[in-house]
Amino acid sequence: MVTVEFFGLYRLNYHMKSIEVEASTVKELFQKIYEVNPFYTVKELKHSIVIVNDVNFNDLKKYRTPLKDGDRVLIMSPASGG
Amino acid sequence: MSISYGAYAGKVLKIDLTSQTVSDYPVGDEDLKLFLGGKILAARILNDFIKGPLDPLGEENVMVVSSGPLNATGCPSSSRFNVSAVSPLTGLLTSSNCGGSFGCTLKRAGIDALVITGKSPYWVYIDIDADGVKFKDAESLRGKGTSETQEAIGGKGSKLVIGPAGEHLVRYACAVSDERAAGRGGIGAVMGSKNLKAVVVTGRKNPAVYDAEKLRKIKAKWTKRLKSHPLTGEQLPRLGTAALIASMQQKRLLATKNFTDGRFSGYASISGEELAEKFLVRNKGCISCPIRCARVVEVDGKPVKGPEVEIMGLMGANILNDDLGQIIKWNYEMDELGMDTISASGTIAFAMELNEKGMWDSGLEFGKTDNISDVLKEIAFRSSERGDKLAQGSRKLSEEFGGEDFCIQVKGMELSAYEPRGAVGQGLGYSVANRGGCHLNAGYEVVVEGLGLTINPYTVHGKAEIAVMFQNLMEAVSAGGNCLFTTYAFFPFFLFKRPNSMLSKTVNKALPYLGGPLHVINKYPHLAHIHLTSMLPHTKALSAATGMKITMGDLMRIGARGFNLERTINARLGISAKDDKLPKRLTDCEQVPGDPRTKVPQAKLKKNFYFARGWDSDGMVKPKTAKYYSIDALDDIGARPVSGAEHVVVK
Ligand code: SF4
Repeated sequence: MVTVEFFGLYRLNYHMKSIEVEASTVKELFQKIYEVNPFYTVKELKHSIVIVNDVNFNDLKKYRTPLKDGDRVLIMSPASGG
Repeated sequence: MSISYGAYAGKVLKIDLTSQTVSDYPVGDEDLKLFLGGKILAARILNDFIKGPLDPLGEENVMVVSSGPLNATGCPSSSRFNVSAVSPLTGLLTSSNCGGSFGCTLKRAGIDALVITGKSPYWVYIDIDADGVKFKDAESLRGKGTSETQEAIGGKGSKLVIGPAGEHLVRYACAVSDERAAGRGGIGAVMGSKNLKAVVVTGRKNPAVYDAEKLRKIKAKWTKRLKSHPLTGEQLPRLGTAALIASMQQKRLLATKNFTDGRFSGYASISGEELAEKFLVRNKGCISCPIRCARVVEVDGKPVKGPEVEIMGLMGANILNDDLGQIIKWNYEMDELGMDTISASGTIAFAMELNEKGMWDSGLEFGKTDNISDVLKEIAFRSSERGDKLAQGSRKLSEEFGGEDFCIQVKGMELSAYEPRGAVGQGLGYSVANRGGCHLNAGYEVVVEGLGLTINPYTVHGKAEIAVMFQNLMEAVSAGGNCLFTTYAFFPFFLFKRPNSMLSKTVNKALPYLGGPLHVINKYPHLAHIHLTSMLPHTKALSAATGMKITMGDLMRIGARGFNLERTINARLGISAKDDKLPKRLTDCEQVPGDPRTKVPQAKLKKNFYFARGWDSDGMVKPKTAKYYSIDALDDIGARPVSGAEHVVVK
């Protein structure tokens, strides 16, 4: 299971704080999140800040970043800084 | 001397508390053209009074309350006014910005700024209205909290008041207008030292602007831009500044356990999202603000001002507390007692570490929260030995008990919640900021080093030039009367909406290498003879409001003039390169053991900064820099002939 935590405006808008899902890549994870909560569109997820085990997915293999059991993913809606 | 520019009320009043007399302070057009208003005009006025080191709590300290030209013009987020004096916390010039209604009402009463000198022989409050200036007995207000004092004074006027902390000369006491604080640097203690409990002003007449029709159009477009920008239109209104906590955690920027770390395991419980989901009653704004970043929460069933990111970090992660309900309560208590939340929290965290190391047993312990409310009261009333010591701030504690290396302050002012080993440009800013360890006066570079843009937070490349540019811009925007958050709209939308796009990544990669061009613009701002209307409408708004011709270059030059003038005054108060320093914990110890990038390379950054600023190697403003900014031969405004009507002092 991969633990996903949400921060930023999407969390407030879509009322999802965290979930646990099975996924082997970030791409698959996005699809699973969409299935659980269709308010989260895959497009929005792609424009989110995605952190896999403390590392931004841009510095890994982005959507192809592999995931394994026990990984922690943080998804922050864009403009979560400022 | 007279003031003919639009948007100004046209008068600066000098009020002497010792003799209870009032006179004109003859500020003229040329002063406003060079120094605009707010903190920069205040520095110009204080330049007349500060000739060398002085006792900040003595009669000789002078306090200037100054509005900005855009106050009371209806421009978005433009109610911010300033209070400056020599700080009892740092012994240097401090400028404290406040979003309460006082600044706008001061303008509506026909006054741009107040210069308050001397010391009243008994507790007074000053009441200013159309009839003149009254000095009223304030004995019955003593001991009252900041909102209680405002309620007790009553009436329709705007108030600037102190709480018990100011009365008892807590070195980081604040002054409060409505529920917004002029927080940093101990302005409240300066008022307390003058036996001045409050200033009340009543006024209704907005100042005439130079080109009302043009300004109306600019305001409409500006408001639209702020409302549509991802940061000012969505994030700040919905989550407030507390939105940053999750990013700070992620980027190792969340000061934890008195800055021993940049991450806190309990961060999720003290995040902005948690605040919004569990505690937020509604959001709120300063006058004329479409952003409305302020939070309203409940304490004991009463709606009160909610916490900002700084206290959520400093009273959360930095003392190992993950109970947001407690932070909300302490925030309210500190506001009522009238003390700066950042310095109070930083001092408490330092005392906790002193205790942990067996250097001073104050009863304060990391993670222990049941005695904090009592301690806050003891500080404000100086009602116990530990309260009395904590009221002096962390630097004085370290002088008595040691621990200088982990006393997290610069020039006596406690740092904000951003851990600079995760953003070295912010570390540079903290170390060179005029008022001490202030994140805003630092230049707030952390915004591009992880909390918004994501440039390399560890490189020294470009950091000094970015710090200078941001400092100059923020100084000038603040002097104009605007909230600094209006500058967020400067950043193009795509950087926030599309953080994973190739364009965003390229901008983030390239920015540190633009140090060269930034240096040229910083050095010769007059070359930037342009307006960036959609990104920074401030220049056009200031031009339409006042009738001055202000371009981007002029704005930056005014900001740089202010920064250099403050530095010049601070030099007279004894500051030099030796004082521009972070505590050793942040420069000599790696935040992440084994990763040498995670400490602030202070010497290199400072050298680059001094060069970028046109200062010498000892951090002194070079004569040619002073000349370029026209601060090399300033006269004494107070010595100019005064013309105009007599002032009525109503006994
Ligand atoms: S953005 Fe926030 S602090 Fe700034 S003026 Fe608006 S409400 Fe006040």
